[in-house]
Amino acid sequence: EPVDQSDYLEFIALGGGNEVGRSCHIINYRGKTIMLDAGVHPALNGLSALPFYDDYDLSTVDVLLISHFHLDHAASLPYVMTHTDFKGRVFMTHPTKAIYRWLLSDYVRVSAISSNDASTLYTDADLNASFERIEAIDYHSTTEVDGIKFTAYHAGHVLGAAMYFIEIGGIKILFTGDYSREEDRHLNVAEVPTERPDILITESTYGTSTHQPRAEKETRLLSLITKTILNGGRCLLPVFSLGNAQELLLILDEYWQNHPELDGIPVFYASSLARKCLAVYQTFINMMNDSIRKKFRDDNSNPFQFKHIRSLKNLERFDDLGPCVMVASPGMLQNGVSRELLERWAPEAKNALILTGYSVDGTLAKQILNEPSEFASITGGGIKVPRRLYVEEISFAAHVDYKQNAEFIDLVNAPNIILVHGEQTNMSRLKSALLGKYKDLRLTENEVKVFNPRNSEELRLPFRGVKRAKIVGS
Amino acid sequence: MSSFVYYKFRSQREPLRVTFDGTGISIFDLKREIILANKLGDGTDFDLSVYNPDTNEEYEDDSEILSRSSSVVARRKPPAKPGRGTGARYVSARAPAPLASISATSPASRKAVGANDQKRLQTTQ
Ligand SMILES: [Zn+2]
Ligand SMILES: [Zn+2]
Repeated sequence: EPVDQSDYLEFIALGGGNEVGRSCHIINYRGKTIMLDAGVHPALNGLSALPFYDDYDLSTVDVLLISHFHLDHAASLPYVMTHTDFKGRVFMTHPTKAIYRWLLSDYVRVSAISSNDASTLYTDADLNASFERIEAIDYHSTTEVDGIKFTAYHAGHVLGAAMYFIEIGGIKILFTGDYSREEDRHLNVAEVPTERPDILITESTYGTSTHQPRAEKETRLLSLITKTILNGGRCLLPVFSLGNAQELLLILDEYWQNHPELDGIPVFYASSLARKCLAVYQTFINMMNDSIRKKFRDDNSNPFQFKHIRSLKNLERFDDLGPCVMVASPGMLQNGVSRELLERWAPEAKNALILTGYSVDGTLAKQILNEPSEFASITGGGIKVPRRLYVEEISFAAHVDYKQNAEFIDLVNAPNIILVHGEQTNMSRLKSALLGKYKDLRLTENEVKVFNPRNSEELRLPFRGVKRAKIVGS
Repeated sequence: MSSFVYYKFRSQREPLRVTFDGTGISIFDLKREIILANKLGDGTDFDLSVYNPDTNEEYEDDSEILSRSSSVVARRKPPAKPGRGTGARYVSARAPAPLASISATSPASRKAVGANDQKRLQTTQ
């Protein structure tokens, strides 16, 4: 039986479909268009890093919701707002907006340095012009724009990260963005909204893999660090400046506090961006979890004023004399301080590289996990750097693993699941696992459908039932 | 004397131009210039199509010559085969694709854009 065209909900991933990076999804239903996120791809440059914006008429977008400040979710926003026909309204949470500004001006600066001419996506002026037009929202308060309703919920992951519960024409959608369900030192875990959505759009970064329990990970990290420095080595922890960097710094500060014997060993963080944003972290402690708020009240000191960690402004000021722990950006070793130190420290076997984040395909962080005997220097000219330093991955990436994702999916209980933000293999494994899990519901009215669309592939979901029910009921 | 062909990525507000010598430029060279000018990398992660802005027809034949001062709409789209984007063909600058030898350059050799593309294209104009 044919369905009226207006009864189809259209979903299209312009980025983040079968990949991690450049997240951008479009939902269209009954003439209303919502865009979710506007990221860039960390392994690509210039226009290539953008979502496939040519594949959608952006002038029709009513509302753009940004889930969190990470570059793969937010860094093409100034481009969308100043170089395309986009005319919609843009929303993000207050902490996201506060950090977004610092983060993106740093991104503009870094991309200007790393590309040899002015072919960057946007300028500081574009960034400033668009910034004024971004509307900041609070968690748990509902905003309505021309028949589109949405509410932000805590997503864990990073400060300010939101899940959006959206309602258009009677259809309810939950978009998780990047999310975590494991309590850490500072963030609230992702919440389960009280209402049941018709569609759940969820990240699938870790597919069907399982995280090691947090306590074990911390022990592994700290014993590897201790072993390396006692052996006279240096520890390099590449991090994305914001997010798990702050969590790692909290872990290290606490450990150094409890181990006075480590007093002489310096711990640095080399990220001017992280330093600038610490003030934002200090300001938004009221949006973090109970334990850090309690600490703040009881000790009467700000947990983000570290006692044992020094900020390093630049490498010229760094006396590289002996064992140390260095938390440095960027997280995937594409360029900058972490890359420079890696090239300096890689030839010595007593040093250690500890990768604590998710490493995207195509980046050096991903390649070096295979422990190559050498790798290409950033200085170019075919120069190779020998790699003898120890490489280990201990992931503190604040994303759900299979168990946490599957449990959340159960609780949310949506009949349609759309997977985004996952490399192809991880995504298809997750899809099979979920379909297997819900196979007994197949061909019943409680059937669970799972989709893993590729970029620019259009997904059309019929929602005629909802409309009929409404008409009958009224 | 320098000649120009104007192009605009579908999503972009402002048109850009490609400069060349002579009275026309092949679709192959035009695509190559667009990729290089916009630093689209090695071209393996996208397919690039160009369209006639008036008819929305794709210029499928790389050997077709576009006369100077024409305008086209460019579209960067996901590669049909992941990691094997046809953009790479223009970056490595091998001979034009053999399409011209299969069918003569005629409007029939251009594939009309699909219904959805059409809808989106029109609204972008
Ligand atoms: Zn993220
Ligand atoms: Zn992400």
